[in-house]
Amino acid sequence: MMPRVLRQCAALARMNILSIPQRIWMSVSTCFAIALVVAVLLVFLAMGNGFKQAQSSAGAADIAIVLRDGAQTEISSTVSREQVMLLEEAPGIARASGKPLLSAELYVIVDGIRRSNGLKSNLPLRGLGVEGAALRHNVRIVQGRMFRSGTNELVVGQGVTREFAGFDLGHTLRLGQTVWTVVGIFADGGTVRESELWADVGVVQSVFHRLNVFQTVRARLASPTALATLKSHVANDPRLQLVVESEAEYFSEQAKQSSGLIQNLGWPLAIIMAIGALAGALNTMYSSVAARGTEIATLRAIGFGGIPTFAGTLAEALALSIVGGLFGVLAATILFNGYSASTLSSNFTQVIFTFKMTPALCVRALWLAITIGLIGGILPAIRAARLPIVGMLGEQ
Amino acid sequence: MNQALLVAKNLGRRKLRTGLMLLALLIAFFLYGCLESFDRAFYASQNSAADNRLVSVNKVNFTLPLPISYAAQIGLVPGVSAVSYQSWFGGYYQDPRQFLIMFASDPAGYLAVYPNLQVTPAERTAWLADRTGLLVGRTVATKYHWRVGDHVPISSNIYTRAKGSHAWDFTISGIYSFPTDPAREGQVIMRHDYFDETVTFGRDTINMVMFTTKSAALNEAVIKRIDAQFANSPYETTTDTAAAFNRAFASQLGNIALIIRLVLISAFAAILLIVGNTMVMAVRERTREIGVLKTLGFSGTAIMMQILAESMLLSVTGALLGLAVAGLLISGLKEVIAGFAPGMHLAWQEVVSALGWAVILGLATGGLPAWSGLKLRIATALGRI
Repeated sequence: MMPRVLRQCAALARMNILSIPQRIWMSVSTCFAIALVVAVLLVFLAMGNGFKQAQSSAGAADIAIVLRDGAQTEISSTVSREQVMLLEEAPGIARASGKPLLSAELYVIVDGIRRSNGLKSNLPLRGLGVEGAALRHNVRIVQGRMFRSGTNELVVGQGVTREFAGFDLGHTLRLGQTVWTVVGIFADGGTVRESELWADVGVVQSVFHRLNVFQTVRARLASPTALATLKSHVANDPRLQLVVESEAEYFSEQAKQSSGLIQNLGWPLAIIMAIGALAGALNTMYSSVAARGTEIATLRAIGFGGIPTFAGTLAEALALSIVGGLFGVLAATILFNGYSASTLSSNFTQVIFTFKMTPALCVRALWLAITIGLIGGILPAIRAARLPIVGMLGEQ
Repeated sequence: MNQALLVAKNLGRRKLRTGLMLLALLIAFFLYGCLESFDRAFYASQNSAADNRLVSVNKVNFTLPLPISYAAQIGLVPGVSAVSYQSWFGGYYQDPRQFLIMFASDPAGYLAVYPNLQVTPAERTAWLADRTGLLVGRTVATKYHWRVGDHVPISSNIYTRAKGSHAWDFTISGIYSFPTDPAREGQVIMRHDYFDETVTFGRDTINMVMFTTKSAALNEAVIKRIDAQFANSPYETTTDTAAAFNRAFASQLGNIALIIRLVLISAFAAILLIVGNTMVMAVRERTREIGVLKTLGFSGTAIMMQILAESMLLSVTGALLGLAVAGLLISGLKEVIAGFAPGMHLAWQEVVSALGWAVILGLATGGLPAWSGLKLRIATALGRI
């Protein structure tokens, strides 16, 4: 059998929660305030998460990326044709029928017109070597086909077609003095690659007057230990002023570097707003205690203890905050999960990403609601437990 | 007993409740003060650019090069009054993470195109005379504790030096302020002749031509003329006002304005409900008193005004407190803030608009209880417990 004090606690918790409709507007406004705080927090967390995932999930462990020594990003790197030729002979790179699986690439920034506001934004146009597409495991063409070498054909990430005008299948666009045709749309599981335009590297070099200049080299590694082999080979050749990283390392570093101001704004904003909501919760709970003064005194007089009185009031506060929190999570998820947005990355081009809610993030947001409920409940609950019985009954 | 005293007494009768409402209001207006100041600082460049200042960039994208000769050619276009140009240097100081917003430009042209840039005549002369001279914005100088005359090594994450050490050596010629556009105080300007002399590639190319027209009325004709002049060349241009260019650039970071609006709407909606409900409850508790006051001869309008004055006083006080905290925080964290929102400060624009919102919030939260106060019949009031 449950101990008496627990039964009393349960009875009072139930009674308090069932009596919420008597204070419906105060309670609803507190719930709503908590829901808003939780929703704001969750939307920011989902935005940061989506942005981070778009980058960190893009890298493969068995692909090496080679950049100029000292370059932090692809855009600021340069690799010469001579260096590419030396790399083609380097150990550790996988080969198929004698040819190294390697793609020397050029990365140029071009303008795209954003659908939402008609303004220009930076998009990366990547010139790929023959092996380029094969070095990206998860990429698949969802519409049309891959570009043919030596032609002014483009394939476009589906993020680009979603956010930018003029990149739909079959469209032509003018970049400099050449006209390009979009012949395919590709998907890559929502990663940063879906923010790119791809074409043949030779054509990109000639159109952008960058003959014999590359920016990065990607290569398939022959074995799990090949990365170390390739790294030390490159480090020991004075003609190669280059650094080698696995693609996975490169992208996780990118994700770290570009989590900027907006991504980190969630918690500070939510905590400040939570203080406002806490003021509301305290007000609601204090008035609830005041309104139930006679009732509490009566209960105390017929034998209910101080602890159950305390617990009953706290339960009411927690119930309000949990309902508010759940409502906030629900609203934020319905309105913003999968919401597509884009921002500048450390490569100075747009990263298109979608807001990603996860159960873990929802739980974190709910904890904030519960914290508000706890703090907003404890002080009024103490007051409830300490109400003078005689005074309250005598008042009427 | 006058009305003001009644208002004060009513607010003071439950000090905890009044205090909590003030706290909620303070939070809302604190956020308002901070976010609106940030918003203004963030979008300052597009609003403060002189309307006769224009920029020409590569038509494909502004990061791509233009030949340096374009600057001189644009200078010859009728209606153009001053011309300068710049290249992005990708500079950093000591550590790649300490990157600088650094351009290479021609000194005489730069100072002519940006007449609001403020340096002493001596600093100006020094920069014009010293090829390795560096003009540093005030924010950057404060951050790295640089002084005029200091020698600083700066590296580039794009360019490599043809000869000598990895880093470029500079002498700080001047530290400038830019009152009309504080964001520019976060930049560093080196001389383009030094750039051209030392880089291994990218010589004789620039990223942007900045110029002014004799009058903004000529802008359209000048824009057409320039873009037509370079059409069908290997380097086509797109020319726009500096304000429009800055607007497009700011929008690349994302829709900051929308994010700020959504956060503020959420905060205000929550506070409106909390304070509004508390006011309704506070007035309902006083039903009997209102009945008594009416019996004593107070008109319904007087009661209504009292309640409105009460909610208004509350929200204006909350707003002033919130703005005060925001102002203190912004000025206290000035150095940190300069890193991402140079020139951010709480200005009269925010104070005035916040007070406007406080009045509206006061009316909204006091409206319903004031109305019921006005309509309340004495018999009902005194009959109600």
